[in-house]
Amino acid sequence: MLLFLMRRLMQGLIVMFVISIISFSIQDNLGDPLRELVGQSVSEAERQKLRDEIGLNDPFLVQYSRFLGNALQGDLGQSYFFKEPALDVIFAKMPATLELVFAATLIIILVSIPAGVYCAIRPDSWGTKLILGFSILGISVPVFLTAIFSIYLFSIELGWLPSYGRGETTSVFGLWESGLFTRDGLLHLILPAISLASIMLPLFIRLIRSEMTEVLHTEYVKFAKAKGLKKVRIYFLHALKNTMLPVITVGGVQIGTMVAYTILTETVFQWPGMGFLFLEAVNRVDTPLIVAYLIVVGGVFVVVNTLVDLLYGLVNPTVRLARTAQ
Amino acid sequence: MKKTMKTLAGAILAASMAVGAQAATLKMAYDSDPVSLDPHEQLSGATLQMSHLVFDPLVRWDNEHQFEPRLAEKWERVDDKTMRFTLRKGVKFHSGNELTSADVKWTFDRLSESPDFKGILEPFAGVNIIDDHTFELVTKEAFPLLLNSATYIFPMDSKFYDGLDANGQEKDILKKHGDTFASKNASGTGPFIVTERQQGVRVEFDRFADYWDKQSPGNVDEIVLTPIKEGPTRVAALLSGDVDFIFPVPPNDHDRIKKSGDTDLVTLGGTRVITFQLNQERVEAFKDQRVRQAVNYAINNEGIVKKIMKGFATPAGQQGPKGYAGYVEDLQPVYDLKKAKALMKEAGYEDGFSITMMAPNNRYVNDEKIAQAVASMLAKIGIKADLKTMPKAQYWPEFDKRSADMMMIGWHADTEDSANFTEYLAACADEMSGWGQYNSGNYCNETVDALVKKAGAETNPEMRAQILQDVERTLYEEAAFVPLHWQNLAWGASKKVAAADVVNVMNFPYLGDLVIKE
Amino acid sequence: MSLLEVEGLRIEFPSRHGTAVAVKGVSFTVEKGEILGLVGESGAGKSTVGNAVIDLLSAPGVIAGGNIKLDNQTISGLHGEAMRKIRGRRIGFIFQDPMTSLNPLLTIETQMVETIMVNLDLDKAAAFEKAIELLESVGIPEPAIRIKQYPHQFSGGMRQRVVIAIALSGDPELIIADEPTTALDVSIQNQILELIRELCKKRQVGCLFVTHDMGVIANVTDRVAVMYMGDLVELGTTEQILCRPEHPYTQSLISAVPRTDVKLHRFPSVEYIEKAEGHQIDVKNHWLGEQEVFGNPSGDVLLKVKDVDLRFETQSAFFKKNRRYVQASNKVSFDVRPGETFGLVGESGSGKSTIARVIAGLYPPDAGSIEFAGQDITRLTEKERKPFRRQIQMVFQNPYSSMNARMTVRDIIAEPIRFHDLAESERQVNQIVSDLLDHVGLGRASGVKYPHEFSGGQRQRISIARALATRPRFLICDEPTSALDVSVQAQILNLLKDLQEELGLTMLFISHDLPVILQMCDRIGVMKMGSLVETGDTDRIFSDPQHEYTQHLISMMPRVENLSHEGLEIEAQVAHV
Repeated sequence: MLLFLMRRLMQGLIVMFVISIISFSIQDNLGDPLRELVGQSVSEAERQKLRDEIGLNDPFLVQYSRFLGNALQGDLGQSYFFKEPALDVIFAKMPATLELVFAATLIIILVSIPAGVYCAIRPDSWGTKLILGFSILGISVPVFLTAIFSIYLFSIELGWLPSYGRGETTSVFGLWESGLFTRDGLLHLILPAISLASIMLPLFIRLIRSEMTEVLHTEYVKFAKAKGLKKVRIYFLHALKNTMLPVITVGGVQIGTMVAYTILTETVFQWPGMGFLFLEAVNRVDTPLIVAYLIVVGGVFVVVNTLVDLLYGLVNPTVRLARTAQ
Repeated sequence: MKKTMKTLAGAILAASMAVGAQAATLKMAYDSDPVSLDPHEQLSGATLQMSHLVFDPLVRWDNEHQFEPRLAEKWERVDDKTMRFTLRKGVKFHSGNELTSADVKWTFDRLSESPDFKGILEPFAGVNIIDDHTFELVTKEAFPLLLNSATYIFPMDSKFYDGLDANGQEKDILKKHGDTFASKNASGTGPFIVTERQQGVRVEFDRFADYWDKQSPGNVDEIVLTPIKEGPTRVAALLSGDVDFIFPVPPNDHDRIKKSGDTDLVTLGGTRVITFQLNQERVEAFKDQRVRQAVNYAINNEGIVKKIMKGFATPAGQQGPKGYAGYVEDLQPVYDLKKAKALMKEAGYEDGFSITMMAPNNRYVNDEKIAQAVASMLAKIGIKADLKTMPKAQYWPEFDKRSADMMMIGWHADTEDSANFTEYLAACADEMSGWGQYNSGNYCNETVDALVKKAGAETNPEMRAQILQDVERTLYEEAAFVPLHWQNLAWGASKKVAAADVVNVMNFPYLGDLVIKE
Repeated sequence: MSLLEVEGLRIEFPSRHGTAVAVKGVSFTVEKGEILGLVGESGAGKSTVGNAVIDLLSAPGVIAGGNIKLDNQTISGLHGEAMRKIRGRRIGFIFQDPMTSLNPLLTIETQMVETIMVNLDLDKAAAFEKAIELLESVGIPEPAIRIKQYPHQFSGGMRQRVVIAIALSGDPELIIADEPTTALDVSIQNQILELIRELCKKRQVGCLFVTHDMGVIANVTDRVAVMYMGDLVELGTTEQILCRPEHPYTQSLISAVPRTDVKLHRFPSVEYIEKAEGHQIDVKNHWLGEQEVFGNPSGDVLLKVKDVDLRFETQSAFFKKNRRYVQASNKVSFDVRPGETFGLVGESGSGKSTIARVIAGLYPPDAGSIEFAGQDITRLTEKERKPFRRQIQMVFQNPYSSMNARMTVRDIIAEPIRFHDLAESERQVNQIVSDLLDHVGLGRASGVKYPHEFSGGQRQRISIARALATRPRFLICDEPTSALDVSVQAQILNLLKDLQEELGLTMLFISHDLPVILQMCDRIGVMKMGSLVETGDTDRIFSDPQHEYTQHLISMMPRVENLSHEGLEIEAQVAHV
């Protein structure tokens, strides 16, 4: 167990290191940070002076080793725009993104499991055809459209839900700005979470449906029937638990990917999270922030994968016991 | 006379409102929020918008493009190089300190250190303090745009910015990058105090109780500014009533806002000109005036405005918009394909030629579509343009390198004056003076440069206008570049927000004077 | 009045292409405490009958006629809740594969307690107590500990015991056992059969025992019903069916069972099903009539396996001492002589297949060496190994998984020829493939079809043809007939024998099935847990086993011939000539 975690930690560090090299080496192609820092009439000489001050004129290796030296002390550079350490900026925005991803994941779980199970149990019913039809639609409509459409419907036409932002937040232990504890915050969360979930929902419904269909044909489900068990128990204990194994593996990775998808959703809904922050950073050529974001997201991916593996081990006794056999 | 009428009208309005005027909150959404609370840090629209809320300028533009006294009550010319200002008495900073001439000088000195603003103050020699409420602005040479420059002077609370902050850093330090006291704290004389600021998320303002301008009809006692990046979301926020005031409004959404029963669209002709420059150093043919003219004739400015900008722009045949000193009414864009072809033939390019073309895709309204349209129009006279568009972050370095034969650039004159266009866009490139810094066409006409220089020293407004009009005329005749249109400005506002009374072409709405009806 | 009465049962599978009749009017009875064997080959409809009794027919199967009575109560036509109350409570069910009939993610406790609670209306504590009791009665040691564990922590045999315990947990009147021992090793099989028999007798539970294995039938049943293509062709006491079969199908079925008493030259084929064709190989056709002469420097040894060690890591750890291994092969040594068939026998997990893979170069051994025709081939680069890959070919248990479903049979067989550049032209390739298809009895016309269009036996023929395509000297057959019916098994084994005879192949034949080994091999090695415990001539091993384990294995072998083999003596004698 400890070994497993240590190995993951090493893996995470390597991933972040590689990302840092890559993102650092492409930063010249992201544009000129100076352009966003100064007004249009500032002379070239002034610009050069500023470049020197920031150290942008140093050779790549000098810049990178300076970066690495600072990074080892936990400093990934200072955002040009926010004028604060890039990591602080990202961590300040992280709660918003994580809450959004959390809410979207919750929606995915609450919708895709019943829908997928229903489709597997009643493959020929109208409900199934409807669900699968919708999921095809869901796959083919870009999230941007889904988001804009839902804003127009629920905010403008019906006036039920707010159109943008995060609403009222409360501070949890002074560490975490949360929108989950106020009515306003929750109302603001609904639309972004739904449109973020809509990206993955069809995939999950289909995945659960096909896995469940397969599981329903297994011997142990037949045996469970032969034992005289009630349908509910067969479907929701025997079949579902086995269905969830591959779903956890695939799903875990997908939920990691969702962090990347937040870039779009957060921009449309002006959600003050990391994804939106990143997009803005790219627009503003805020290179330290871009590099730090990529490294943090790389880390998030490793953490998510580790959690998924731990969860998988929790559900699958074969894996768990192999690891704790000691 | 006009001015007194207006003041009178304002006073009456204020008086009539005084009874009914109730404290109101303005929720507004812009596409971005100010980078910093330090008004000297960056010369940008967002900074100036913030400056007009938290600070006050010495003078400001009114809607007739005239100067309106603010902190400077009155001014008079002492000689060619000196203007004497009288400071309004009893004006308090947010900190409670009283505004004096010392604050003006302190601000002026700090401003001339700012990389962004020092260009504007370059013609100045300094500030002479006469007494607490009288001071002089002195220029090196005779300088016609002295008052224009004064609109950039937003006196700061010199005592407030005195000393060291918690990090041991001087409070008045001015830095482009890095944490400074001034970028997070502000004490001005403006109508609003910043109460909360989460960069990129929201800024909250409260009305300053001791604001000097008791005549102002404004009844907004709280402002919540949220940046909303995406146009459709911003419009949706207005339509759903989540915000009361937005800028900018994408051309596609104008009708929706007009049609809605709860919102108004407020538009003004803009001052930002969109142009293409023809690089004469990269393309031999562009050295030929006839070819440049042919390009101008081949492009249908009217059509671009109508089809792409949905009518939300003004076709341009010159640099400065109407109202600017150099504007010449009869310099209009002409679309004449036949003439264009004839000119190409005459110049010996009947069969046309190929060029490269670059434009940003997220800088100006519909920039990419405009570039595509221009490219296809040029194809009709045999000029095959290989167009490449890219985000502004990548575009500007390419522009600096003059990477393509034809490049797009939009320009707004910081000085709100015609000469500024030529200095940056059409003057012969000169690294020392910084002239021609954005002249990717390498058009160079010594006469034009000389004229602009002359205008820079001409204090007689009429004489000066004459010179600048000559400049515009020459550029038009020689087809120095390809003017397309001036981008208009559009705000969306809830019907109860009297936005039309406070917006202006410079795009810094005077929200201190904004009235929200119940 | 019988416990179970099945009368005129007809089961149909309607589909778009017409209705398939799986069971055509079958009638039989099962008494209390009696075990009725239901025997037949795949497709006979025997499992369908068992499933129909408790309404577990796979879609779209329906009972189209007849009726089923349990204790004089008609239960055919019951569905849903009514049938659920019969399942588990009155009829217990045991499936073929204990590996798949238990839910891998739930503890034994959960799976037993839920069954007991729903069928006996006990509370959780009482159900738990009952579960422990049941586990004890099916012979699981330390039930209180074992019950907390997951299925994968049990061996196959133990799992089948658990399944039986679950089947018994509702105190049913009838048990339907569908091939309950087919997936198990011989020694385990015996124990399980014993257990079922004992439980049925003691508890006076009736049992419908579905199987294809005549040996099992002989060991456990009281009466036997023989099914063929949906018909019940014969019903009688076990003794009568095995010794004096009346129906020609039953007769040929019994004669096809590999015998354990005497070695035959060829397996009697099930003539009732298929005209026995002697696929005589014309050596002039085989491989364009080319004969390959291999030098044979080491004389009487073609393959020499010497001290082969191989272990697999079962738990990886950073520190060596924390790692765990399973010893798949422990100093295994044996020789195979040219032209002979060497048999490797042992139970699952004994390491037989591992050795085969080491020889084929799929796993490099930790220690020891493999010599082929005098050359050390233990550690070769891919390039060096290529000529040996051509000479050594493998036939697997389940050929389907090793075939690309999107390739035609012709291409599947031609692939190794092309890979090894063995033919001069595409025309030659076609000629060779056609001849091979003829040799293995499929006919050249079948080359254009795809693997899924063939039955299991035919697919095994395809894989043999593919193995022969490179003109190998040495053929490794890893359980080539374990997945096949008796009649098909006989055909495939005959084919292998013929091919070996005509082509002078040397074979390594791996099987857990002792009678098959006896019939096929000249010499045998017996494996147990990675070690080779005994090697010797087939006759000697069977008549005079030395090692304790070999003795145990042979004693466990189910014997049909205890009963009789009338009418088969002549052929047996022919073989001895």
